[in-house]
Amino acid sequence: MKQPNQCDGEEIEGQTMKGGPGHGPKRIRRVLRVGRLYRKELRETMRDRRTVITLVLMPLLLYPILSMALNRFLLSSSGDVETGYTVCVATPSESDALLRLLSDPRSQPPSEIVESRGGEIADFRLGLSRAENAELAVEANEADVGAKITVAPNGMNVITLYAHRGDAASETARQILAERLQWFKLAEANLVLQAAVPRYRSPIDVLVQDVGTPKQSNLLATLVPLVLVLMTITGAVYPAIDLTAGERERGTLEAVMASPVSRFSVLVSKYFAVMTVAFLTAVANLFAMFTTLWASGLLALFQEEASPPIWMVLPMLALLVLFSSFFSAVLLALTSYARSFKEAQAYLIPVMLLSLGPAMVSLVPGIGLDGLMAVVPLINIVLLARDLLSGSIDLGSASIAIVSTLSYAAAALAIASKLFGGDAVMRTSSQTALSLLKRPRRRSDHPSHSSAVLLLALLVPFYFIVSNGLMQFLRNFGDVVSVEVQLGLNALGLVLTFGMLPLLATIWERCKIQTTYRLSGFNVLALLGSAFLGLGCWAIAHEAFVIADALGIGGLSETQIENAQSMIVKMQQAPVILLLLVFAVCPAVIEELCFRGYLFSAFTKQLQPWRLIVITSLLFGLFHVLTGSTLLVERFIPSTLMGLVIGWVAYRTGSVLPGMLIHLVHNGLLNLVLHYSEELSFLGEGFDDQTHLPAAWLAACLFLIFAGTLLVHFGTRLRGEDDLVSVSEQLGSNSGDPELL
Amino acid sequence: MLSVNSLTKNFPLEEGSVCAVDSLSFSVDGSEVYGLLGPNGAGKTTTLRMILGLLEPDAGHASVQGRQTGLDPIGVKELLGFVSASDGVYPWLTVREMLLYFGDLYGVDPVVARDRCEELSSLMGIYDLLDRRAGGLSTGQRQRVTLVRGLIHDPPVMLLDEPTRGLDVVGVQTIFEYIGHLRDRGKAVVVCTHRLDEAERLCDRFGLLHEGSLSYEGTMMELRSATGCEHLVEMFVGLLQGGHHETT
Repeated sequence: MKQPNQCDGEEIEGQTMKGGPGHGPKRIRRVLRVGRLYRKELRETMRDRRTVITLVLMPLLLYPILSMALNRFLLSSSGDVETGYTVCVATPSESDALLRLLSDPRSQPPSEIVESRGGEIADFRLGLSRAENAELAVEANEADVGAKITVAPNGMNVITLYAHRGDAASETARQILAERLQWFKLAEANLVLQAAVPRYRSPIDVLVQDVGTPKQSNLLATLVPLVLVLMTITGAVYPAIDLTAGERERGTLEAVMASPVSRFSVLVSKYFAVMTVAFLTAVANLFAMFTTLWASGLLALFQEEASPPIWMVLPMLALLVLFSSFFSAVLLALTSYARSFKEAQAYLIPVMLLSLGPAMVSLVPGIGLDGLMAVVPLINIVLLARDLLSGSIDLGSASIAIVSTLSYAAAALAIASKLFGGDAVMRTSSQTALSLLKRPRRRSDHPSHSSAVLLLALLVPFYFIVSNGLMQFLRNFGDVVSVEVQLGLNALGLVLTFGMLPLLATIWERCKIQTTYRLSGFNVLALLGSAFLGLGCWAIAHEAFVIADALGIGGLSETQIENAQSMIVKMQQAPVILLLLVFAVCPAVIEELCFRGYLFSAFTKQLQPWRLIVITSLLFGLFHVLTGSTLLVERFIPSTLMGLVIGWVAYRTGSVLPGMLIHLVHNGLLNLVLHYSEELSFLGEGFDDQTHLPAAWLAACLFLIFAGTLLVHFGTRLRGEDDLVSVSEQLGSNSGDPELL
Repeated sequence: MLSVNSLTKNFPLEEGSVCAVDSLSFSVDGSEVYGLLGPNGAGKTTTLRMILGLLEPDAGHASVQGRQTGLDPIGVKELLGFVSASDGVYPWLTVREMLLYFGDLYGVDPVVARDRCEELSSLMGIYDLLDRRAGGLSTGQRQRVTLVRGLIHDPPVMLLDEPTRGLDVVGVQTIFEYIGHLRDRGKAVVVCTHRLDEAERLCDRFGLLHEGSLSYEGTMMELRSATGCEHLVEMFVGLLQGGHHETT
């Protein structure tokens, strides 16, 4: 019984596929409700004085104090060019003698050296030691350097220079002073030499010249990511603990869990609240840091121009969103497991310390955002921030870093939703962290959406590593290994990623294979229509490629295209049946089982049909873009379009099998055309990637698509238009339906 | 309205396990106040948590108006109002904000929730506290807020775990009156308490839990004739000493 004054709660099983009237407003109300829950979480956090301290007081106090300390450090370590160094001597006569030497032009460095130092000459101020002892004066920090002049038995003046051991400024001052005296000696010797040997000429002459534009210092780009990591974590720590472990400690968790709202919705509202506070803390810290650096003039030490780089604001904000989304999810996953505030703190302190390790990577020269680094959590975003700030960003690697980081955040959130409010934190439970890995006791028809999110998050780095490893292998051993083995490895990569991971997840969750992979029956007409669609769609995919190429959408360089073409030529040497197995049968079976099987059934309850189709198609398109370390952007549109067509058919028929047929026919046809391109040359132009298909071919393919669409539409209409949407569910539980094969 | 069928729950220990609830069955109809009574550790709260779907039973099931907790947890939670033994509040929110938050969690229209919040607060004598920060409330005030929190969505079945904990005589009387009011409105109410004198005044039927299983069940008259004792306290003392098991 639903109460008359109640809005709609969570979806009830079996209702989501029915996209009838009123479905939209219900969903909007639910989103609005999550928005209100978020507002409550944020309000509660922002009123807490501990948040105010982290968010406002810390940035206000920390940076001025740090800048003062930095100023002092810089002054003591590098000396002050304007005021110069102080030299201490014991007697006025020593002072006069040293002053004479230093003011003599012969003690100045040669012009080449002065120019190479930017025209600056260090200034020395002389003073008398209070203890009449230069050595003691330096030891007592009265001066940067001490000088003592004595006369040797041979009449030579011996000048002893004292510096404070370990004091960088003192040692630098002594070095410069020693050099100045050496220049004097050299000039004096030169005069004598020229008088004695007038024809003497130095064998070398030195000229100093500058080239190129002034290089910006990378110090800012190196330090800011480190500050961002620290500040985002600092901002997220308290709200993450308070909104999860704190909720349990206050005794409100049980009441929240007893309400008819999914854990995930509650957690999402908490996640966005934590993310907001983390983001604001990072912004406040960054703003305070730049303002302090700018106001204290220290920014000039980091950059040539002493003004904050305005162009950096938007990318920096986007980076902060990425940092906040990642850390908030990770911290929530940890704190959701904790039973008390103290326990949560105990978990987070090591995490904060451990985060410093990867964050320090930005300080290490020579490590770039490429290869495996692009998918290593935390290191990838730190390097991304460094590259962004230094203006040397690579879009391909950046995209991989962003996608993988968002995947990790989603995975952490999925883990948090399993832990938050679960048995592991209820007071009568004695379960441990292993409860996260606990298999459900009951068998279920569909995987949970949180497991699917976790799977997707794992798929990104796993697929990246497998495809990259395969590429590396082919690059290094391509000449040694036979084509057949290479093709086998290709298929194995696909099976290991899109095949094995969903299968393991299905087995672990005790999901029924038939319903999870939607292996139920299908309609004859729909099957015929699918075959037509497969025969026609390749033309659309081809045209999309050509259009993308014409628009300049592509991630391949000329060399990469040549490599790919030579690989294709090599592959064509393999038997055609093997080519079809690897490039048509294997993708059709494995990819369809993953995208229109596992993911379709996992998100069936959460998403409306059209959203389900669009989202799985976008994922399908995105995974086709990620190939090794190269982003094949031009594959996105055709793959997504194919995903939409197959998704629609999979939804209409309620089965994964017709989609497999489309995929199989489509891939098979493309491979056959490629394999027999010479034999098909009589058909005319249009069988390479650069030119449009002949009009007659295009028309024929469009007709096939039209006919295929009609067949699928009418083939699945047997149940009545309104009821079609639930065909998939009915097929799941009733494969023996007389109207279906 | 509420039906509990052979609910069983074991909690693992370092060595072996402990049976918190053992094949517990009872049912509560509309316009009935059912007292689930027992000493500390008898399994009362665990039973309520299994009904709510917060704990997964090892065996058996609970259903509310035909909906099983295990099969339709969200649907069942919509039908239940829960007042937990813990009087936890959000210290930085006002009482009104906290109550409206729970209204939102239960999917109550915000306008309806506002009216209901004021109406229930007046009944419970906490109207003046609505705009005060919840962190500053006394134990008794918190307990009343907790009760309003559980009633905000006007559920047909109420589960009350120690609803009078921390209340003074007037507070207890207010709660009793309201539970009577709920009974008059056709609600099914389950009250868990170990304060047997209060239960005797309040409940229509009783389930006496001992070590996870139901030792006696019935109306006060039925219990008296089954046990030969006049009051619940005596029945419990006898039960704890003799371990007698009988349901009527």
